[in-house]
Amino acid sequence: MIIQLKNFGTTLVSRPSGKEAWLAFQPVLNQISSNEVIIVDFDGVIVLTPSWADEFLTPLDEKFKERVELHNIDNPSVKATLAILEKH
Amino acid sequence: MHRFTYITMQEDRLLPIGEVARQLNVSIDTLRRWDSAGRLPSFRSGPRGHRFYHKSEIDKFLNEIDVISRDWAEASQPIVLNSDVYCQTRDVFQARLETFQSQLTRISSIEIVSLVTAIAGEIGNNSFDHNLGNWPDIPGIFFSYSIRNRKVVLADRGQGIFTTLKRVRTELFNSSEAMKVAFTEIISGRYPETRGNGLKFVRQIIVNNPFSLYFQTGDAELYLKQGDNDLAIHQAKTSINGCLAIISFEGLV
Repeated sequence: MIIQLKNFGTTLVSRPSGKEAWLAFQPVLNQISSNEVIIVDFDGVIVLTPSWADEFLTPLDEKFKERVELHNIDNPSVKATLAILEKH
Repeated sequence: MHRFTYITMQEDRLLPIGEVARQLNVSIDTLRRWDSAGRLPSFRSGPRGHRFYHKSEIDKFLNEIDVISRDWAEASQPIVLNSDVYCQTRDVFQARLETFQSQLTRISSIEIVSLVTAIAGEIGNNSFDHNLGNWPDIPGIFFSYSIRNRKVVLADRGQGIFTTLKRVRTELFNSSEAMKVAFTEIISGRYPETRGNGLKFVRQIIVNNPFSLYFQTGDAELYLKQGDNDLAIHQAKTSINGCLAIISFEGLV
């Protein structure tokens, strides 16, 4: 499945909105089959921060591990956020 | 009458270029460029034609938002802010941050817009994260910007980094130590939550781009700019309980 992050907004900065996105998306995530790849598409996202990402991408990564693929990560704040989360 | 004369003279004191460079946290070369471009004109004086500036002009240039935010952060009794710079809740901050982002988009590249908005968003949201339910007097933050002066200012009257980090790092002794930890280590004042990347993220962006940051919490202050490897944390002249951040972004078209 593909998760279009821009559907949650294009300025993704706060922890509560990241957590809200994660919770709201649970019904969809619960329907994913056991070997399905999850593509996270950052296309259209203008601003991302570690606060938002830590509430959405971190639990997604913990739940689905290597089945998660990140696409269109060329936005500078997306790159900087992913770099910080990888160090964590 | 005497007092009036005295104040006028003080305000119109002449400042040499080196002093202005220090006050504005830019290089002398930058000031010469701004002079040529008419952004901050100097006047020449003395036999060698050195550049001088009126203090009143520099104060104006420093922009009122710096002064207002510092007064608000420092005041022992809460000062009522104008509603256009006061964000009592996170929702108000998010809406104004997006307005800032869209205004910046008109004059700047997507790279600059993305990164400046991200660090402002991270700093502002940090204030809410670390003070939720614990605001000493006024909830929320000061958030204002001057696109013309390439500057964003954020402040809060929260508990400050020392108070929040000392809960999980009891060996911390003062604001300077706490600030250093916040900018260099992955740690959170909200343990056991796995969090605390915010100011490391801000630092990484500042040092890798044509930006600079002034940050104060308690009696510790930090100047950070592109290319800085070390953290230059100093004792501030005055103390604040919460945090004050001034982001300057150059390199715009």
